[in-house]
Amino acid sequence: MRRGPWRVAVAGHSMEPALREGDWLLVLPPRRQPRVGEVVVVRDPRDTNRLLLKRVAAVHGGEVTVMGDRRDHSTDSRYFGDVPLTDVVGRAAFRYKPLTRVGRVRR
Amino acid sequence: MFGRLLKPPVTAYAHCDIPCGIYDPTPAKIAADTVAKMVEKITQLQPSATDFTTRGNFVRMIAVKEEHAQICKKELEILWSDYFKPEHLEKYPKLHDMFWKAAKLCSKNKQSVDAAAAAELQAAVKEISDMFWATKK
Repeated sequence: MRRGPWRVAVAGHSMEPALREGDWLLVLPPRRQPRVGEVVVVRDPRDTNRLLLKRVAAVHGGEVTVMGDRRDHSTDSRYFGDVPLTDVVGRAAFRYKPLTRVGRVRR
Repeated sequence: MFGRLLKPPVTAYAHCDIPCGIYDPTPAKIAADTVAKMVEKITQLQPSATDFTTRGNFVRMIAVKEEHAQICKKELEILWSDYFKPEHLEKYPKLHDMFWKAAKLCSKNKQSVDAAAAAELQAAVKEISDMFWATKK
């Protein structure tokens, strides 16, 4: 697990308009439980080498339910179920590219 | 300005596993019809009129025409690259040529106010549309 902030590039369209394909984000390591509405980076339960960006819809016990903002165009907990907290590897905090949309990733 | 230093080392997927698979030539047709309609309306304007209303209408119609020529091209490209498969090419050997010509007509209509070019675009889109629906039978 990474200790400091790290960067990811966004691929795909399930988080539009909040996040768009090609956005570059700063991700903070999870120091606390994710909160509902935050955008998190989770390991794909079907292929743990792969990272997914989704929004937290619910937190219960040791698991989170994650959903894409575009419900009609997202593969998320509705399909692969809840994700264990240990597979939440970060919180998308800040966008630094493109310059026209620099800023915090909103809840 | 965004050099290699800032490039994220990893990709995170905000994706959908399932391509929605919804393809339809109708948006391309509507865009082509809009282009033709704008050309018609532009040519009906009085070229010597300099009042602001006429000028405003002219600029607006040009903008709509160009925007829809671009939309038409995009919609055609979706059909071309995502919907049509190699097996369609076997049955319709002119497929690539049809799309290529139609895309060029989109550009031509963007650049010019030309009723003949607009009609050609409408015909090219119709031809693609007919081919599309034939593959659905």
